[in-house]
Parts: sequence; structure tokens; C-alpha cells
Amino acid sequence: MSLDTVLLITLIGSTLRATTPLLLAALGGLFSERSGVVNIALEGIMLFGALAAAVTAQLIEAPLLRGNPNASVPLAPVVGVFAAMGVGGFIGWIHAVVSIRYKADQIITATAINLMAIGVPRLILTGLYDNSSTSEPLRNRLPQWGFGDFHLSPLVYLAFLLVPIVWYVVFRTPFGLRLRSVGEHPEAADSVGIDVRRMRYYGVILSGVLAGLAGAFLSIGNFNQFIREMSGGRGFIALAALIFGKWNPWGVLGATLLFGAFEAAATLLGGRQLLPPTVVQAIPFVLTMLVLAGFVGRAIPPKAIGKPFEK
Amino acid sequence: MNERLALLLLTLLALVGLWLAPWAATNRETGARSALILLPNRTVDFTGRTDLVDIPGQGVVLVLSAASLLVVLAGAALRGRTRRWLWLAGGVVLIATHSWGFDRFGAAVREARIGAFVDIVQARIDSPRESTDVPGLERVVADAFELPLSSSIAAARAAGLNVRRLPYNNSGMGLSAFLMLVVGGLAALFSLRLSRRLSRAIDQILATAAVPATSILLALVAAAVVILLLQPTPLGREVEIAGLYPYLVGRLDTLWHAYLTLFADSLGTVSGFMESLKFATPLIFTGLAVAFGFQAGLFNIGAPGQMVVGAVLAMLVGVYLPGPPILVLPLAVVAAAVGGGLWGALPGWLKARFGANEVINTILLNFVAASFLLFILSSSPTFAAPAVRIILLLALAVVVITILAFVPWVRAQVGRAPRGVFAVVGVVLLVGVILAGLPRAGDQALVLNLPFKVPGSEPKSQEISVASRLPQLPRLFGIDVKENPGTNVVPVNVSLYLALIAALVALFVLPRFSRFRLWAWRLGGVLGVGVVTFGVTAPFGLTAVDIGVPPTKLNASFLLAIVTAVFMQLFLWRTRWGYELRAVGVAPEAAEYGGASIARNTILAMTISGAFAGLTACHYVLGGALEDFSLRQALPTSDGFDGIAVALLGGNAPLGIVLSAFLFGVLKNGGSVLNITFPDLTRDVVSMILALVVLFIAAKGFLPERLVNPLRRSRSGEPAVPGRELDRGGETR
Repeated sequence: MSLDTVLLITLIGSTLRATTPLLLAALGGLFSERSGVVNIALEGIMLFGALAAAVTAQLIEAPLLRGNPNASVPLAPVVGVFAAMGVGGFIGWIHAVVSIRYKADQIITATAINLMAIGVPRLILTGLYDNSSTSEPLRNRLPQWGFGDFHLSPLVYLAFLLVPIVWYVVFRTPFGLRLRSVGEHPEAADSVGIDVRRMRYYGVILSGVLAGLAGAFLSIGNFNQFIREMSGGRGFIALAALIFGKWNPWGVLGATLLFGAFEAAATLLGGRQLLPPTVVQAIPFVLTMLVLAGFVGRAIPPKAIGKPFEK
Repeated sequence: MNERLALLLLTLLALVGLWLAPWAATNRETGARSALILLPNRTVDFTGRTDLVDIPGQGVVLVLSAASLLVVLAGAALRGRTRRWLWLAGGVVLIATHSWGFDRFGAAVREARIGAFVDIVQARIDSPRESTDVPGLERVVADAFELPLSSSIAAARAAGLNVRRLPYNNSGMGLSAFLMLVVGGLAALFSLRLSRRLSRAIDQILATAAVPATSILLALVAAAVVILLLQPTPLGREVEIAGLYPYLVGRLDTLWHAYLTLFADSLGTVSGFMESLKFATPLIFTGLAVAFGFQAGLFNIGAPGQMVVGAVLAMLVGVYLPGPPILVLPLAVVAAAVGGGLWGALPGWLKARFGANEVINTILLNFVAASFLLFILSSSPTFAAPAVRIILLLALAVVVITILAFVPWVRAQVGRAPRGVFAVVGVVLLVGVILAGLPRAGDQALVLNLPFKVPGSEPKSQEISVASRLPQLPRLFGIDVKENPGTNVVPVNVSLYLALIAALVALFVLPRFSRFRLWAWRLGGVLGVGVVTFGVTAPFGLTAVDIGVPPTKLNASFLLAIVTAVFMQLFLWRTRWGYELRAVGVAPEAAEYGGASIARNTILAMTISGAFAGLTACHYVLGGALEDFSLRQALPTSDGFDGIAVALLGGNAPLGIVLSAFLFGVLKNGGSVLNITFPDLTRDVVSMILALVVLFIAAKGFLPERLVNPLRRSRSGEPAVPGRELDRGGETR
């Protein structure tokens, strides 16, 4: 295999890996925003998911490793993934309760969750590992599926598989129709007997589950431990991708692939020492802003987004 | 708010606490181990080395407390004026009893402490060493109960005995006493409804304080769970918890002691108070920044980024601009505001011009600014030659496009076929970038040596010039901490300050009375209040109170923060621009119909908001609140996020923000004390409390609408004075 092929495969692989968390989180955001609830808490939920996955998997494998340091516990990371989804869903539920039931400003609620995602993991890590910034490295990671030099975490495949599924659910099922109607015109939806609040709860909790999954990919899918603030703004980029993708799964796929490619290219530039790493870090954010400024005028959000429903 | 139910529950809680919770701690040692006293004279010792202290008057306190709690309970069961009278009696007795009880307690503990000291000295007299001055020590023992303990210890040290680790250290109030004081205070407060005018004042206080107070309370309750999970009851050597009762007592005290630690140092000591003002200063700025955005209907989460850019500009002016302080210092402050303002104006412009959401853009700009800060403080960042060529090409393209945008012919072409023009420009740029990016022979990497970065790996800038430094606050009052390091004991004219504060309060309160509408009357009244306050307090020796001023990083930027708050108040509520800005915030369409420009006001609001956030540089760079007078990578940008909590808690009004910033300053200082005091707790508890406060305030404290706004109390609520419903008609709606 020539050097170019290797480089190409590396670039494709790292693009897909960089896309996965963005895609999962953005698909989650799609459910929430289509139901009419802004969810800038994706960032925080990802962190909680990442923490839950790493800590659960580590706590499960730890007693088994004590007898035999090389024991294989393939189930531990799987349970970790489900824990991340559960915790993500729970945080989503909190966001839902406060912003739907108590009609709080959705952006402020989400900001509170993001703030909590900075402090709470440190407390938990200090309580468990006497170390406020990382969790114990995991021995058993998720398997890597692929062929030749091309190996990816199952969560990558899952993320891309979810695109048509989400499209089908949102645009071709009664559930999706109700979800969208609640986000476009809640009064009309209410008048035909759709439970607006319940649909919004579903939307926000689903977004939490998917964002939690994105977090699990960051901590145990792509890596083997939790590092504080490891999401590094991906939740916000996912939101921008959601706008750029016009709240449509296929558009979101394109947008996240674009941002994923930015990130992969930036990492490649940094790795080859073409640019100082500090400059490289800023590139995805600057590009996201440019894209937002250029395209936001043409993207039409769900009409009732951000407004609490008053019956 | 249904005060009857609240007081009923609290009283029941206090009754349980009377039996279960510690009343006071006789000794709190390092590592948060305590020796506790429950009424009457029941002792639980977790230190393992605290002897019993016989405290007089415990029986009396117990009986009176229980009796007055029952009176308050009875009051809650009765109606009308009887209830208020009972509450007044119960409240006053509770407070008086505890003041008396703690007076006794304090005397007993002091005596026990001196006793322990005398025992130690006596032991040394009985078995002296060579260096011991035995007659000196005997004199110390003889005088011990007359002199203050600190001078006895000093005398003992002079006589060759260094006494350390005395027991009965840090004695103080316990949870049950606190509960009873709360019940007493509330009962007394609510009994003031006996007077109709005061009753309305109470309603007003409750209306403004209900949501913030409940939110803080809920946040503390939620944090209590975390504290109890993380921190086991601290135990001394050879101490074990036997049985459920000491376990419960220990848990309750761990919780109480943790919260006491959060508040006591800041509110009880001069140094702690100054520290919390220091922590509060940047929070005032960022809180004002976020609130200013909210007032114009914008959510500025970009304060962290604006802080960074403001700090960088202030640093540049401070390092490079020569001149006298009178010129350089204001320019440096302006530079801080300009930096933050520019960084805030950018998302404002993007919103006004393209409709891009300011929330996402400010967040993205935070990350960009964070990278920027890392970049300018990194040692010799290296650009490869192709990268430099690409950057130069892009910069050239931006310049050319900007110039072309002013040529009418080009504008017309773009207007006719925008997509075609964009496509052409895009292809040209892409080809150019690829050509520029191809490596060539003889490429030299560009290594930047940033002149303001100190040599070495430490990520900080050069120190700013002396002319651009803001003085520390004590120096403004004539105390030079630098000349005289350590704690300076200075006589402070407390009476004068009290008179000033009283006059200031009078300035705001007097206009409420019709007689003081006239300026002459008002001025006279204010002066009179001031003079009377001074005259009343001066004879008590308050003109020269010795106060120890410790070394501090609190600087003049605190005053600047207050000035900024006043500016915001005047700008938003006293000028036409502020009115327009708030109108755009409340109802954009209506404001536009009325002649206000949404775009202009969006950019203006984001600029001023950013400028407020940028002013934090006055504290961190010009005031030297980080280790020295330089820009450091450790710039705590999380203050920008905490500003959101401050703004929300302060109701987006300047006065509220100053108060809530002070509360957060208290908590932050308390957090660092907590870090030291408790082995298993960290200051992250505080950051969690702040986040929870935001969440609960967003949810209006989970209170139903009826409770959130007491002025709109349901008609079934008890009118304390018959017929009051009528004269409140206007407010009840």
C-alpha cells in the first residue's frame, strides 16, 4: 500500500471518528428542537454521558481485574454505554421538567446543566478516584470493528446507521408527525388531541439519550478514560450543524461530516506541525461561525422553538 | 407566601432539632473534628481529647426554647391578631434566650480554655527544663484568669514555654441553635403584620426575595446530599461511633459545620470579608455584562471570551505605553473595555446582519478566545512556510474583497448573480490555497517570538508598568500594605462610615415621604440623619476602632465595579438610549414600530455588555489579583459563566447584582476555606451550588405562581387585618 493510501485511510478514519460524536449529538438535538425545545445542554449531557460510561465500566471491571489483571470483561464497556444513555436521558428529563413543566427559559436551564457538567464530574471523580480531572483508565474497551488498517468503534457504525432510522421515524411515522407538529404549531396539535407536553418530554429525553451516547463514544469508544471537559465544545458545534443541516437528518449528516472533516484536517495540520496547536484548536470554531453566518438566514427553524407551551 | 405553614414546619423541625441536633460546639479541630454539646449538657465528642465543659444555664435555655417554640406553634394554630402577638412573644423570647445562653456558653468555654492553658503551664512548672523561667510562669498562672488569653500565651512564650494546640478552639453555634434563631427571627418578622404599613413592606420583601431565597435554599439542600455522601464524619484518634444516636448527631454536625465554614470566615473575619469582596469584584462585572444583555433581550454567554480579549488589550497598553499614571491608567482601563466590547460587538453584528444566534456565536467565540490566550502566551509558536503563505493569501483576499465591496460596479455584479460570484471567488480561493500550500524547496518555518511573553516556559506576560497599576484598596485609605507587610492594625473611624451609610440610605428612603419631595427638605433630612448617626455612635468610642487589615489583593477595581453598576442603572433607566434598548428587549416589533432600530440596539447592547466583561481585566491584570501584575494563562474565565448565575440571582438589576456577587464571593471564599478544613470536600461543591441556583431560579424555585408573587395571593389566604384586600385592590389584579 502506498503512503498516499495510508494517509487517505487515516484521514477518512479520523473524519468518521470526529464526525460520530457530532452526529449523535446533533441527531439528539434534532428530536428536541423538532419538538420545540432548544437544547444547548447537549454539551453538558455529553460530559455526563462520558463520565457515566467511563465510571460504570471501570467500576464493573475493577473487582474482576483485582484477581487477574489481564481478565477480559467484554461486558463492562457495553454496560457503560447503556449507563451513558441512561444518565443522558435522566439529564434530558431534568431539562424537560424545568423547561416544559415549569416553563423556564430553555436556554438558561440548559446553561445551568452545562455549568453543572463542569463542577459535578470533578466532585464525583474526587469521591471515587481522589483525582479531580481524570477517571481510572479502562482495561476493557469497546471492540473495534473493521478490516485491514481500517478499524472503528461500533458506535461509529451505529451513528451513521441512525441517520436513515431517525429520518424514517421523524418523517414517516405517526410519532414523528406528532413530534414535528408539536414543534411547529402546538396549539393546533393540542386541538387535535396530541399531548403537547408529553411529546416534548419524549423529544428532550431522546436528545439526552443520544447526547449521552455521544459522550460514551468520547470516553470509552474512542478513548479509555474520562477527562474533564473532554467534550471540548462539540455539543455547541453539533447545534450549529443542526442549524446548518436545516433540522433534517440527511442535512445534519452532511453538516457533521463537514465539521468532522474540519476537525480531522486540523488535527492532521497540528500533527504535522504546520501550525501551532493553539491556532489549530480554534479553526473548527471559526469555520463553524462562518458557516452559521452564511447559512443561518436560509435555515428555517421549527416555528414554536424556544417557547413554553401554555395551555 | 403561606407563612403559617412555613413557620409551622420550621418549628416542628426545630423541636426535633432540639433533641437531635447539636446546640453548640465546644471545640473544632483541624480536619473538621468536633466536640459537641446538645441541650442540656449532653456531650458527643469526636475529637477524643476534649474534656467536659460545665456550661451553666442549659436547663433554662432548654425550657425557655421548648416553651417558646410551643407558643409559636400555638400561634400558628390560632387566627388573627392573637397569632401575631403569640409569634412576637415567642420570637423575642427565643432570640433573647439564645443571646443569653451563648453569652454563658462563651464565658464557660473561655474559662475552660484558660483552665487547659493553666494545666499545661502548671505541668511545666512541676517538671521544669533548663530554659524555663519558673517564677515567670508562676506569675502567668496567677494572672491567667484576669488577662486575655493571647497576652498570657505571649507571656508564657517569654518565660520559655510555647503553648500550642490548646483545646476549646473555634467554639461556636450548632444547628439546633441556628434553627431556633431562624424560627425566632421569622416569627418576629411575621408578627410585624400587626402594623398595616409594615405588613405591606413585608409583602414587598417576600415578593422580591421569595424566588432567590427558595432557590438558594433548594441548592443548599441538594448540595447537602453531596456533602453527606462525600464527607464521612471526621473522627479523632481512637474515636468510634457507637450506635445510631451519635451517628445522626455526627452527620448533622458535618453538614452544619460544612455550611458554617462556607459562610463564617467571609462574614466573621476582616480578612475573609476582604477576600470575598475580592472574589466578588470580577463577578460584579460579568454579572452586569450578562444582565445588560438580558435587558436588551440578548443572552451573552460570551463573557469568558470578552474577559480574555479585554485582558490582552489592557496588558498590551500596560506593558508598552509609557507615561504618567494619570494618562496610562485610564487608557489601560479603556483598552480593557474596548477589547471586551469588540469581542461582544462581533456576535452582535452577526446577529443584526445575518440573524445568527448570539448564544451559539458567543459560545464559539469563547473557544476562539481561549485558543487566542493560549497562543499569545505560548513560547515560540511555529508556522510552517506553506501555512504562512495560506494565511497571507487569505488575509490578502479579505482585504481585496473588503475594498471591492465599496466599488459600486462590483456591488451591482454581486447583486445580479450572487451565487455565480460566490462560486468564482470560492474556486479562485481554493486553487490559490492549494497552490500556496504546496511545499517548496528551501522553505523556512516561521518562528514567532512574542515580545510580551516572558522568556521561559511559564505561560504569562511581562509585568505591566507601574504607571498602569491600580492601587490596592487599603492604600486608598492610607494603609500601605507594601511598606508594612503583614497585618496592619489601624484605627478606623467607624462612626463616620456609619453616618455616610445612614445618609445614603436616607437619600433613597426619604423621597417616599411626601414632606421630603422638596430638594431643600430632602437635603436637610439627609444631612440631619448623617449628623445624628455620627452624634449617637461617636460617644461609644466608634470614632477609632482598631481594625487589623491583612495583606490583600482587593484593589481599586472594586470601586470601579460599583461605579459600573451605577452607570448601568443610570444608562438603562435614566436615558433615552437605555429606554430604547429595554424596549427592544421587551417587544422588538413594537419598539421598531416606535422608531427604534433593532439592529443598532443589538450591536450596542452586545458592545456595552462585552465592555463590562472586558473590565474584569482591571481586577486580574491592572489590579494584580492573579499572582502578580501580569496576564496569566490562569485567568479564571469561568467567572464569565458564574456571571450568568449572578445576573439571574440579582434579578438583572445593578443593585441585586452587586448583592448577589457579594454572596457568591462569600461562597467562593468559603469554598477555599472548605478545601482546607474538610479532608474530603473540595471547592467544587460551591460551583455545583452556583449551577443549581441558576437551575432553580430558571424554574422560579419550583414555586407555584401564587407563591412566587405574594402580592397576588389567592383570596382564600388569611387577611391579617380585615379589609386589607380592599386597599390592595390595585396590586391584586
